[in-house]
Amino acid sequence: MLEEMFNPDMIAIIGASRTEGKVGRAVVENLLNDFKGQIIPINPNADEILGLPCYPSIRDLPSYTGIDLAVIVVPAHFIPNVLKDCGLAGVKNVVVISAGFKESGAEGAKLERIVVEVAKKYGIRMVGPNCLGIIDTTSNLNASFAASMAHKGNIALMSQSGAICTATLDWADAKSVGFSKFVSLGNKADLAENDFLQVFADDDATAVIVAYLEGVKNGQEFIETARRVSKHKPIIMVKSGRTAVGSRAVSSHTGTLAGSDEAYNAAFRQSGVIRADSVEEMLDYSRAFSSQPIPRGNRIAIITNAGGLGILAADSCYENGLSLSSFDKSTIIRLRKRLPPAANFYNPVDVLGDASAQIYGYALETVLDDSNVDGIILLTSPQAVTSIDEIAKIVVEKVKLSTKPILCSFVGGTRVAAGERILNDHHIPNYPFPERAVDSMRALYSYSEIRKLVYKPPPVIEADKKIAELLFENATKQKMRTLGLESFDILNAYNIPTVATINTKTLSETVAACEEIGYPVVMKILSPDISHKSDVGGIRLNLLNAGDVERAYDTMMVNIRRYMPHARISGVQIQKMITRGKEVIIGMNRDVQFGPLLMFGLGGTYVEFLKDVSFSVAPINIDDAKHMITSIKTYPLLTGVRGEESSDIDSVIATLIKVSQMVVDFPQILEFEINPLMVLPEGQGCVAMDIRLTLKEE
Amino acid sequence: MSSILISSSEEYSGKSAICIGLGKILKQRGYSVGYMKPIGNLLIDVNGVLADEDAVQMQKILELKDSINDITPILLTERLTSDALMEVEKNLDNTLIDAYSTISKDKDVVLIEGTGGIGGGAMYGLSDPQIASKLGTKILLITRYDSVFAVDRILSDYKIIQDPAMLAGVIMTDVSSSDIDNVSELVVPFLENRGIKVFGIIPQDATLRSVPICGIVEDLHAKVLSGAGHLEDLVEHYLVGAMEVNSAIKYFRRVPNCAVITGGDRSDIQLAAIEAKVKCLVLTGNLRPSEAVLGTAEEADIPVLLVRGDTMSTIERMERLIGRARIKHDVKLKRIVNLIESNIDLNSLTKAIGL
Repeated sequence: MLEEMFNPDMIAIIGASRTEGKVGRAVVENLLNDFKGQIIPINPNADEILGLPCYPSIRDLPSYTGIDLAVIVVPAHFIPNVLKDCGLAGVKNVVVISAGFKESGAEGAKLERIVVEVAKKYGIRMVGPNCLGIIDTTSNLNASFAASMAHKGNIALMSQSGAICTATLDWADAKSVGFSKFVSLGNKADLAENDFLQVFADDDATAVIVAYLEGVKNGQEFIETARRVSKHKPIIMVKSGRTAVGSRAVSSHTGTLAGSDEAYNAAFRQSGVIRADSVEEMLDYSRAFSSQPIPRGNRIAIITNAGGLGILAADSCYENGLSLSSFDKSTIIRLRKRLPPAANFYNPVDVLGDASAQIYGYALETVLDDSNVDGIILLTSPQAVTSIDEIAKIVVEKVKLSTKPILCSFVGGTRVAAGERILNDHHIPNYPFPERAVDSMRALYSYSEIRKLVYKPPPVIEADKKIAELLFENATKQKMRTLGLESFDILNAYNIPTVATINTKTLSETVAACEEIGYPVVMKILSPDISHKSDVGGIRLNLLNAGDVERAYDTMMVNIRRYMPHARISGVQIQKMITRGKEVIIGMNRDVQFGPLLMFGLGGTYVEFLKDVSFSVAPINIDDAKHMITSIKTYPLLTGVRGEESSDIDSVIATLIKVSQMVVDFPQILEFEINPLMVLPEGQGCVAMDIRLTLKEE
Repeated sequence: MSSILISSSEEYSGKSAICIGLGKILKQRGYSVGYMKPIGNLLIDVNGVLADEDAVQMQKILELKDSINDITPILLTERLTSDALMEVEKNLDNTLIDAYSTISKDKDVVLIEGTGGIGGGAMYGLSDPQIASKLGTKILLITRYDSVFAVDRILSDYKIIQDPAMLAGVIMTDVSSSDIDNVSELVVPFLENRGIKVFGIIPQDATLRSVPICGIVEDLHAKVLSGAGHLEDLVEHYLVGAMEVNSAIKYFRRVPNCAVITGGDRSDIQLAAIEAKVKCLVLTGNLRPSEAVLGTAEEADIPVLLVRGDTMSTIERMERLIGRARIKHDVKLKRIVNLIESNIDLNSLTKAIGL
């Protein structure tokens, strides 16, 4: 995919310039520096640029069918025509660097729409607009206005921020970190992250995929693509705008809604993307993946010449879900043989402050041999006798041969710089503090888990969709956006058990219904306008006889007319009172980027305060459903604490899967909630007690 | 020549809407229709002449040739009220009767619109029943059915009218869907058993309550930043965006055809509103939004309006606009005609008017 874009023979720069300091010149210079193919500047006011013959238009080229890639830097309003020329000249790949599109307001947005249409018409694939350009170190292509070319390496990076591209290039230059491909995404009017995920996946030079994103263009497709790609190559992503203030900044920067962070977490988890919370983490992880093998497990050995650093690393391992490996007896015996008696032979191994490079080497080799060790964190502090560069050289040797990851943290400044340089020269990362090395080890370990995952598609759910269709048709006819208890039938359509109910319109009907269902009963107001029934006196529990029912009915009607005079009331619903069981909530909110985002949590009065909930993007499979249930903090309450009987968790899994199917089947459902779903003891299932949903305007 | 006085139990019950709808329907049926609002209370200056807003509008809609001074012969000016309080004789009866005889010339029917509630104008001796008896016409009573208390109001209005024969009948308006069954099954028979004819009940209607976006632009002196092609769209509700963005989007999705009021600096809320496909965005405090957001709004064809006022004062103005918006818009004109035709027993009503 996009083979000619990244490996072109002939490139045109439309808007090439002779003037120093102009983007149109910088691009030509960058290409001249490394690119071996043919470079053709296009500018109607020049005959030659930097020694290259220049043409007034791409259509004036003598044999214009050979342009594989056009880089466009002309002012925005010329671009529709320029693209049309490209289309007529048979150009299929363009990088539009120019700004002045959607990011600049209403007029720019119109222009962007036109540009996309023109590109589509001629079958042109476009990077940008409003981007830095692209780099491919395999084909020596620097089609960007970045200040320098990237070093060769195996990291492929895409970024929605041009500034992060240039900053990363500069940082990487200092650390000798190399890249395979570098893509500045810009406004993502055509090509976006999903396309480049596939390009990077197919690229032999790429071992690790890294991205800085402010949003994704097509969430469901993203999950599918990333799920496929992450099986073969690790994907590390920073998604900024995690907080309310950050997401507001994303909004005003890109003009797109950031989407909820829970949705990103869920989507990344479900698709095997490793999330980094900062660019620093992203680069830390990418260096680990770029240079180290993937550990087989989470048992880590720490080797240090300073007790304090070892303890910090141990704490950090625990917090990151890594365990300190228990060494095999033979390892301890071997360590005792050469290490000074005062050393610590257990994990963390303390080789003591005066340890020589040879001692480090011996300890490292010994620990590497231990089959209980999956990865090593090697720490060094510069002490008077420490020979940093010698230690670094030994590490380089061992890393080259090792099948287990070794991450180093040479902690210090001036005195560790020489060692760090040696590591950098061999593309081995040095983390300035132990915690960062541990974080990166955790990232490596998490990828070993991701690789093991086998995605099983969601089970097929039998449902009577006709019932749901009819319900929604009626709601649309009546212009109802929100539905409550009156839409219980949709649950029955998906075989989700509901509590026995009767809807009534008058008091006498109500009393009759109670007699039929059998006391005790619950009375709930039926109104599409009332979402929090209990706040307005719209729920009465445990009514024991006709007298209770009559009093409850009269007071309920008065209260509701008082608190919500404009609510539409269609009557009340009588439910069988269920006293046993645990209340849980199953909800769905259609996320702007990923679509149906399912939510699970324990129910009850404190749920809004505790926010102990988990999320997954639908459709979910059984593993996702299990994960949702077990990952809430209050999960042990469902399994039963202090001698309580366990709840029927399998029935909750089944209900989650059914809801997932329902919200996928009916995209007009924007929000959905079963609250509460009463989970009965094991083997007895669960019952939905209440429901609420919001429909899309037809 | 026949006539009918359209009175109401309370303000904002839909008198003007009924006058417009009825006037249109009668015109369609070939009658020459006249209109009067004897006492004007919504004063506006039309090219140097003080007039009533309803009257001016009605003149346009029904294409009346009569002079505005005859349509509304008496204006509720400060001088009028102070003279009345000081008991200065103004001969208002003659003014009224003269205007009425001018208007009714060559007309098949004259619709006379009351002012405020049924008792409005009593201090000048011109409450609706007093006017009706002076002009020898019957009263059509319009009552907004907000609760069962509307029945009490109708019964007490019936007493105020004194002469049972003077009340042609009642139309109940704005009846919510949850009350419709109750009103038609219980309230209507109850009133008719007491000799009060009910010509029909008009259900609550979102279109009638709505205001076109251009109406908001005009009223709030707003600047249109995007979506200029959609200013004729109707807004039925307004919402205030001051919450966290994920709650905002849920909240916006639940309400159809709404305008969202928020600050120019709340780009997240603005985008949530665009995502939820609201009808328009009203940005307060004269804070211009980010250009990228305007780009997205333009893409989605959603008008973004910029106003000088703060959020609080903007809410107050919107509160006054929606639900009380006058019927100027074509869509709303058609809607009221349609509602009357499908919910009012027009045969009985025209018979009661004397047509």
